[in-house]
Amino acid sequence: MKPAEKLFAYVVATVFIVFLVAPVVWLLSTSFKGQLDIFAKPPVLIGDFTLENYREVLTDRRFMGSFLNSVIISSLTVVFSMLLALPAAYGLSRLRSPAKIPLLSWVLLVRAAPGMIYVIPYFMVFNEIGLIDTRLGLVLINTVFTAPLAIWILISFFDGIPYEIEEAARVDGATRFQAFTKVAIPMAAPGIASAAILVFIFSWNEFLFALTLTRFEAKTAAIAILNYMGYAGTEWGKIAAAGILILLPVAIFAIGIRKYFVQTAAGGVKG
Amino acid sequence: MKNPANKGLMTLILPTFLTLVAITVLPILITFGISLFYIKLTSAAGPVFIGLENYFELFTDDRFLNSLVVTVELIFIPVALQIVIGLLLAMILKEKLPGMGWMRIAFLLPAVIPPAVSGLVWKLFIVPGAGGLTYGASLFGMDLSLDLLSMPSSALAVVVATSVWVGTPFVALLMLSALESIGEEQYEAARIDGANWFQRHWYISVPEMLPVIVTVTVFRILEALAIFPIIFVLTGGGPAGSTEPINYYAYVNGFEYLRVDYAATIIFFFFVAMMGATAPFLINIARREGREARS
Repeated sequence: MKPAEKLFAYVVATVFIVFLVAPVVWLLSTSFKGQLDIFAKPPVLIGDFTLENYREVLTDRRFMGSFLNSVIISSLTVVFSMLLALPAAYGLSRLRSPAKIPLLSWVLLVRAAPGMIYVIPYFMVFNEIGLIDTRLGLVLINTVFTAPLAIWILISFFDGIPYEIEEAARVDGATRFQAFTKVAIPMAAPGIASAAILVFIFSWNEFLFALTLTRFEAKTAAIAILNYMGYAGTEWGKIAAAGILILLPVAIFAIGIRKYFVQTAAGGVKG
Repeated sequence: MKNPANKGLMTLILPTFLTLVAITVLPILITFGISLFYIKLTSAAGPVFIGLENYFELFTDDRFLNSLVVTVELIFIPVALQIVIGLLLAMILKEKLPGMGWMRIAFLLPAVIPPAVSGLVWKLFIVPGAGGLTYGASLFGMDLSLDLLSMPSSALAVVVATSVWVGTPFVALLMLSALESIGEEQYEAARIDGANWFQRHWYISVPEMLPVIVTVTVFRILEALAIFPIIFVLTGGGPAGSTEPINYYAYVNGFEYLRVDYAATIIFFFFVAMMGATAPFLINIARREGREARS
């Protein structure tokens, strides 16, 4: 690159990174501010440091209950999705049949449908069978999106396992199912882990289903944070602290699998 | 099923697919079914079959027609910006210039923040007179304390900015990994011919990456209205419907006006339009994936 081109690159990168980071920095700084500094005019970036917002959120039993709901619902969604996705993804990866393309297309189409199309029927059916405002109900509807996502990711991981190893096991008398559980699954473990993390993140961040299908008992953290936008005005300090608490686990997970994250999160975007 | 290598595979695939049919296809059919009835949740009277009448109502409903316009705006403006800026950033990151390594990690941030929190992040950032934007302007000696969410055009701009903020870094990382798989020799030849940095990418990278660019664009279009939580938190669809896309209007009908039949009509209409426009691309992607697997 010529110097002028480098200068251009640095200017563009700097402008974008400010746009990217500034709002998050503001959230972080607000989470450590007291009430007076939050509404200071003109605004200040660093106020008198306080942990009061975090203390209030962490001792708010309603919010922490929702936080626990998020943990339980996201974990169960991972279990459900993996139980559905693992055999299907393995089977699709090994399948040599004209049925393969329609099955793959269908997995993508299901995932591409707008979430709102599922909300109304699930709301009405859950109302009938008592699954409104339950963790199980939310796990079920989250799986609508996460199972196809996991299938899609896992197929390419299974594709990467050399078939010869399974062949050898089959020659030694292993059944197809044993080849799947004893050979393919252990070998695809890193892929399975990153698919599981992605499903967890999806479920953790999910908003629309939790908004419409829960009321109080099964509310997740991503919805409960809105409680701090009350009629009496928005409690920005608590929102900022709660926001940081909600995004922290996911950010740590994502950085942990960053090698796979972009490719897998794209779920189908390949060269 | 004649191929012996396939033996036993269908028993692994079928249970999952039957479950998926039950939890996805069935609900979509129910949504269509609901749209054919007149349903009043608040009254004891049962549903009345009215055929396509709900669909006819759509085209005389000004608020629906407005939501169509907003949908087009909120799909095409952010996606175009995400693709163009994302590509430019990928080109820059590929150079591995000193001091830019950490950006690859920073770029993951918006992709992992829950959308509702992203909405709150931006709402806090632009609190009139007390937010980060006002603070930033004050560093340059400007006094900026407008309420951006109170005017239709600026509210739409804030939603677009947030959508760009959420999607662009991720697009950039995807583009970057495609860019890094292009052989260095091609660029070298162009460099010798005197092509500058931008020309090299324009004439080599862009044509090479075209399939990736198309795929990413299709996925971003499909994901574009997933900014529902952001709109919910930031504007609630207002002011004056200026930020109310079609899925938000469906939500309002179903869960505020309790007109589930009309909500189902709106969203089913959108589903058909969206699938009609993108299904050929998706099937193509599936075909490529199917072929790519070793044989």
